[in-house]
Amino acid sequence: MKFRNCKSSVSLAVFLCCFSQFTSSASARPDTAPSSSASEATIPGPLRSFLRMAGISQKVSPEEVLPLLSRNVVVNGYDGGKPTQFLVLLNWYLDQARELVTLAGPQGVLRISNCEEAKPLLTILGYRLRQPCGPSAAVETADANRAFLTIDSGFPLADLEETLRGGQSFADPYPSTHLPVLFISNDWLGHTKNGSQTVVDSLLRDSNLARLYWALARIDNRTGLFLEQSLGVKKLIALAPVLDFYGSHISVRDGGVIVPGGTRAEAAWKDLVGATPRNPVDFLNRLLVKDDGWLAAYFDALSRSGPVQQAYFADPGRLRRYYEALRGKDISPSPTRHSFRPDQGLFLLLSNFQLDSNGQPRVPGNLDVWKQVLQGKSDSKVVRDWGKRSNGWNNSEQLMEGMFGVSRYSLEDGPVYCFLTLSEIDRGRTADQKLNPQTFRLLAEKYQHFGDQYTIFSEFHGLNDASIARFLAVAENLDQIPDRLVRADSLGMLQANLGLWQILKRQGQISEAAENSSWQNVVNAFGSVRSSAQVFEAGSTALGEILRASTGKSFLSQDQVIAVLAGPNQETPEGQQVRQEMANRIRVVLDDQRLVSLDTLHALGDGLSQMAKGNAHADTLLALAGELREFEMPKPLFTTRERSEFASGLYGNRHTSLQMRTDLTNVMKKPGSPAELIEARGLLTPFLRDTLVGLNYAYYEPPGAQMLHSNPLFVRSHDFSGGEYSGQNSVASEYTWRSPRLFGRGWTASGGAHLIGSMADLPYVLAKVEQDFIVPQNVQSLIWEDLVPGLMTSAVLSRWWTVSRHELHAAALYQRAGEELMAASATNEKLRQTVVNILSDRMLPQRTEQVELALSSGRAEDLLSLVAPAESFYLAAEYRRRFTGDTQFFGQAGKELEELTLGYPSEVGWERLSVDFGVPHPALEHNYARELLNMKPVPTFLNYSSRLLAESWDSNNLYWARLADEMGYPPVMLNRLVPQLTLRMVEKTFASHLEDWPAVLRAMRETGEEFRQGKIASLQKSGTVSGL
Amino acid sequence: MAKRFIVPSLIVVILLSGVAAWMAAQDQSNGNNVIRVVVAMVQLNVAVTDNKGNYITGLRPSDFVITEDRLPQAIATFEEGNEGPRDVLTAAQGTSASKGSGGQEHSRNDATKTASNQDLPDGIAAAVSGANVFILFDTSNYMFRGRGFVFAQDSIAEFVRSLDNPYRVAFYSYSRDFFRAASLTSDRGQVLRGVRTTVNGDDSALYNALLMTLKDAGQYTGRKVVVVFSNGPDNASMVAPEDVDELAQSQGIPIYMISTRDAKLDPASAAVFGRMSATTGGEAYFAKSWKDQRDAFASIREDLAHLYFVSYYPQPNPNRGWRAVTVQLANPKMNKYHIRTRAGYRPIPAHVNVDAATPAE
Repeated sequence: MKFRNCKSSVSLAVFLCCFSQFTSSASARPDTAPSSSASEATIPGPLRSFLRMAGISQKVSPEEVLPLLSRNVVVNGYDGGKPTQFLVLLNWYLDQARELVTLAGPQGVLRISNCEEAKPLLTILGYRLRQPCGPSAAVETADANRAFLTIDSGFPLADLEETLRGGQSFADPYPSTHLPVLFISNDWLGHTKNGSQTVVDSLLRDSNLARLYWALARIDNRTGLFLEQSLGVKKLIALAPVLDFYGSHISVRDGGVIVPGGTRAEAAWKDLVGATPRNPVDFLNRLLVKDDGWLAAYFDALSRSGPVQQAYFADPGRLRRYYEALRGKDISPSPTRHSFRPDQGLFLLLSNFQLDSNGQPRVPGNLDVWKQVLQGKSDSKVVRDWGKRSNGWNNSEQLMEGMFGVSRYSLEDGPVYCFLTLSEIDRGRTADQKLNPQTFRLLAEKYQHFGDQYTIFSEFHGLNDASIARFLAVAENLDQIPDRLVRADSLGMLQANLGLWQILKRQGQISEAAENSSWQNVVNAFGSVRSSAQVFEAGSTALGEILRASTGKSFLSQDQVIAVLAGPNQETPEGQQVRQEMANRIRVVLDDQRLVSLDTLHALGDGLSQMAKGNAHADTLLALAGELREFEMPKPLFTTRERSEFASGLYGNRHTSLQMRTDLTNVMKKPGSPAELIEARGLLTPFLRDTLVGLNYAYYEPPGAQMLHSNPLFVRSHDFSGGEYSGQNSVASEYTWRSPRLFGRGWTASGGAHLIGSMADLPYVLAKVEQDFIVPQNVQSLIWEDLVPGLMTSAVLSRWWTVSRHELHAAALYQRAGEELMAASATNEKLRQTVVNILSDRMLPQRTEQVELALSSGRAEDLLSLVAPAESFYLAAEYRRRFTGDTQFFGQAGKELEELTLGYPSEVGWERLSVDFGVPHPALEHNYARELLNMKPVPTFLNYSSRLLAESWDSNNLYWARLADEMGYPPVMLNRLVPQLTLRMVEKTFASHLEDWPAVLRAMRETGEEFRQGKIASLQKSGTVSGL
Repeated sequence: MAKRFIVPSLIVVILLSGVAAWMAAQDQSNGNNVIRVVVAMVQLNVAVTDNKGNYITGLRPSDFVITEDRLPQAIATFEEGNEGPRDVLTAAQGTSASKGSGGQEHSRNDATKTASNQDLPDGIAAAVSGANVFILFDTSNYMFRGRGFVFAQDSIAEFVRSLDNPYRVAFYSYSRDFFRAASLTSDRGQVLRGVRTTVNGDDSALYNALLMTLKDAGQYTGRKVVVVFSNGPDNASMVAPEDVDELAQSQGIPIYMISTRDAKLDPASAAVFGRMSATTGGEAYFAKSWKDQRDAFASIREDLAHLYFVSYYPQPNPNRGWRAVTVQLANPKMNKYHIRTRAGYRPIPAHVNVDAATPAE
C-alpha cells in the first residue's frame, strides 16, 4: 500500500467490521514463530511482501527494516490514538502470512503441482476458481479482504493461475524472515499493556516505543548502547520525541558527551545544562528534558552548524544568552509537538550565521535597519516585545539575540527571513560592491511585498545601490497602474525581461561592466508605463537593451534570440551541436505553447508605427495580423454554464480571453488617427508578454516535461495579477510579487494547472509542475514531491559552457583522491582519524561511525553506500587544504590532481569548481547562485518537507561530471547529460521516507552504472539527438 | 453468426511499409513566414450500429464517405474487426469502385470472432491485425472503497485473457504517479502479472496518466485503443482533460472509459468521461456493480472486434488549426445507422518532440 497522502474516506469502523470474519479465522492459526535469537525478530512470510505492506522500499538492507517500520508506525500508524488503515492492513497481512507459513510447511515453500491442490491456498488468498480446472481456469475474488492483502503484498497470483491452467508446478518460497534487532529483543518486549510476544508486534502496538526505536536507530551504535544501558528503554520511551527530532547529533565518546564547540565549549554547556558533559547520564537526562525539548533543539541546531559558528557559541555567556533569547518566557508549544520539526528559522539562522572581521555577527546595513524591522507592525507579541527591547541595542550580538528570540515565531515575510535574505545579499560582496545602509533599509521596508524577488540581488553581487533602488521604485510604480490587465501585463513583461537578463548574465553573456547599465536600462523602460501600448513599447525596448548588452545588437530575430539564450557561442563541433540542441528545445516549447513569434510581433509593432507616420500600407501587415488569430483554445468539453458550475472563478483568464478577441485586422482595414494606430500597438502587449514569459519557461524546461508540450494554455495562464484571474481576488495583492503558487491542479473543469504570482523561483516551480509526469521504475516507489523539484532545479539551471577539460578532470580527480585517502586510511589509524574527522563535517555521528568501522575492518565495498561523491570530493579538498603539499597518502588521482593544480590553478581551484558544479540554494540561502556548501543532510521541517534536503544534496552534478570525464565526454556535453541522468535517477529513486538520502545515493549510483555500461541509449557519446 | 461480405485480401507487406513511412508535410506560405505542419495518415476507428446498438458488419470502403473540413477524402486502407487491412488505393487502381453493400446487423451479444487472418503467416497477421490495447488502471485511494481494487483486477484480467491473439496489450496503472506495469506485448502472462502486482493508494491523476498513455500509444503504428478503468474523479492532474482529448483525437486513438457510480456522482467527471469517449470514438460505461464492470469489458471487446479501421491521406488543407472529420455512409438507406468515430484532429507542428514519453521496453 502506498500511504503518502492516504486520504481514503473509508471509515475505520466499516473497515474493521469487514475484516472481522478474516480476523476470527486468522487468529485461530498458529502464532508467529519465536525469534530465532536474542538479537533477531521474526516476521512471517518473505521480506518483499512485508516491505510492500509496510510501505518500505524493496531496496533496503535487513538492518533498516525495523527502524523504517517503526518510523512508519509513528508517522502513519495512529490517528487520534486509533490505528489507521495502514496499520490495520499490516496487522491483517501478518495474520494471513502466518497462515501461509503454516501451509508452506517446514520447508518454507508453497508448492502446488496441479489445480486440485490449490484450493486450500486459494482460500487463504481470498480467491476461488472462476472456471473449472483446465486450460481456461482462472481465479476470481471470493473474499475481498483477503484478496486485497494478497494483491497488495505482491503474492504471485498470476503464476499460480498459470499452474491452474495446467502450466508448470507452482513453487513459491514462503519462509519466515529474520531481522536484526537493535540491542536485544527483550529490550523491546514487555512495555505495552498488550503484552506483545514479538518485537514486531510490540512496535506495531506502541507508537511511543516505535518512536524510540526509530530515534535510537539513527544514533551511533556506541551512544545508543550507552543510552540503553544507562537509562534503559523504559525510561527512554518518555524521551522518544526529543530523541527522534533532536537526538541524531548526540554522541558519547570516552565517557563524555561531544558538545557543539568541542572541549572548549564544555564549560558553557555545563553552565547551560546544569551538568557536565563529562557525566553523560546526568548531562543527557537534563539536556533532553529541559524546557520541554527546546534545549535539545538548540543543541541539535548548533551541532549542525559549521566549526566557525560553533566556536563563536562556545563562549559561556553567549551560549546562555542566545538560548535564553530562543527559549523566551513561554516554552509552549514544545518543539516535538507536531509531526515535523517546527519552522527552520533557528536552523537557517545558525547555518547562515556570519561573523565580520572583528569576530562579531555580521549585520546587513546597520542596527537601525533592524530595529526598524522589529519595531514594525506585527501580529506577534514576541516580535513586538523584541521591538521594544531593540531600542537599547548598541551591538550586533543583541540583534542576533533578537533574531533567535523571534525565530520561534518566524513567518515567511517576517524579520528572520528578511534578515536571512539581506544577509545573503550582503555575503560575498567585495569592498567596492558593498551596499549602503539606505539600500538595506529600503530592501527591508519592501521585504514583505518584494522579498521573493531579492534572490537576484543575492546572485549578482555587482548590482549596486542604484540598480536595486531603481527596481524597487519601478516595481512599486507598476503596482499603481489602475487598469488590472495593463498592470498584470506590465508585471509579466518586466519580470520576463529580467528573467532573460538573469539567464544571460548567469551564462556570462552580459559582462560585469554592463551589469548595472543593462539592468537599469531594462528597468527604466518600465519607468512610467500606464497604458498597454506603453507596456508593449517598454517590453520591446527592454528586450533590445538585453540583446545589446549581450550581443551588441538591439534587434535579433526570434531564432537568433533563442540561439543567444541557448548558450554562448561555441567553438567546438560538440559545443555547437549541444547549443543547437538546447535552442531546439526552446523552440519546441514555444511551438507547443503556440506562442506568437517575436518576429511577427516586432513586424506588427513597427508596421503600426510606420502606418501612423504614413510610411506603410495595411495590406502588407494583414497576413501577419491574421497570425494573432490563429491560436485556438482547446476544443471544449464543457459548456460555459458547466464551467461556471464546476469551476467557478477558476476558468476564464481575462488575459487569454482578450487575446482570443483581439483582431488587429480591423484596425488595419479601417486605420484611425496616428495616435490611434500607436495605441493599437497595445493590442500586441499580451502576446509579447506571453512569448517572453514562454522563453523563460522554455529555458527552464525540466527533463521529461509534459505540461509545457501538452497544455497550450500553460504559459498564457500565468496569472501575474496574484490571483485576480483565478478566483483569488481577496489575496491577490499580496501575491503579485511572491514566488508562484501552483493552482488548478486536480480541478477537472479548470483548464489545467497554472501558476499564480511572480516569476521568482520559476525553475523550482516548473519542476514541481512537471515532476508528476516522471514515471517511477519500481512498482511501489513514488516521486517525492519536494525532493524531486530540488534535484531537477540543480540539473536544469546549471550549464557548463565554460568548463574546461582540466576543470572537468579535476572534478573527477577530487572524488577519486578522496577515495584514495579512505583506502589508505584502512591501514593507517592516524590517517583514519584525520579522514573521519574531516568527513564528520558533513556526516552525522552515526554515519561517521559506520565509515570508521568500514575503514578499520577493510570493508571498502560498504563505503559506496555510505559516502556520497560530494563527501569524497570534500575529503580530498579539505585534506589538501589542511596538509598542503602532503601527497604521501594519495594514489595516482591525488598526485595527478596536485600536478593539475600547479599547472592550471585558476581552472581547478575550489571556488571555480564550487560555482560550476555546486547547486543553487533558493530555500536554504535565498540564492540561485551555484555553490558547494559542505553541509550535513538537512532534516525535514514544517512546510519545507524535503526541499532543504534536496538543496543540501550536492553530489549529483559532481558525480555526473566524474562519469563524463571517465568516459571521455567533452565538458559541454554535461548540458545534455546532467538533466537526462538526473531524470533517470529520479525514476530509480525508491525511498521510504522524506529524509531517505541513502535512497537518493543508491539511485544515483545505479544510474551511473547504467550509464557506464552504455545502457542509456540517448546519452551515447557518438549519438546525436533527434531534432537536430 | 452474421453473414459477412468477403473482400479480396491484398498485399500486406507493401501496406505495412507504406503506413509506417508515409508522412506528408504541408507547407503554407504566409508572407515571408513558412509554417510547416506534419500530417501523417489519418486513421479512423469507426463503429456502425443500428438503433438497438447492433453492429453493422460487412460494409465496404465504398460505403463510407469521409470529409475533412468538408473536403472529400479518399480512403487509403480499410479493415473490419480483426480481419487485417486492405490497401484500398492500390486495389482501386485495378478494380472499379464497388457499390454499397447494405451491411449486416450483428448483435452486440454475439461474440463472433473474425477469421480472415487465417491465410496470412502468423507473424504478419499479428503485426497488422487486432489493436494495440493500452489498459490504464486506477490504483488511487478511490479503489480502496469496497475493495473495488481486487474486483476490478479480476475484470481486467478476464478482459486481457479474452482478447484474441492478434491483440497486443500494455497495462499501466496510475494514482498520483503513472506506472508502466507491462509494456506493449502479445504475452498475456506478462500483462496478467502486471495486473496482479499493482499497489493501491494515493491521489488520482487520471488525465496526467491518460496523457502519458496516449503518448506511448502514439509511438506505435496500427490500430490503438485506450481502455481506462477509473473509480473516481481526478484530484491531482496538472493537465486538463481537453488537452488529453485533443491528443487522443489527433492520434486517432479511441478512449473507452469504465467507471463506477462514484465517478458519476461527480458531474464534471461524468461529463468528461462521456464526452471524451464520444469525441475520440470510444464509449463510456458507468457500472453499478462489479458484474456490470465485467459486462463493460465484454462490450469493449465486442466493439474492438467490429470496428472499421479506415485511413486516408488528407487532401491539401490550409487549416493549421482544428480539422473537423465527418464519416457518413454513402447509401441513403443506411442513414438510419449510427456512426461513432473521432470528431477531428489538430495537425502536429513540424518538430520532433525530443522529450517524447519513452515506453520501457
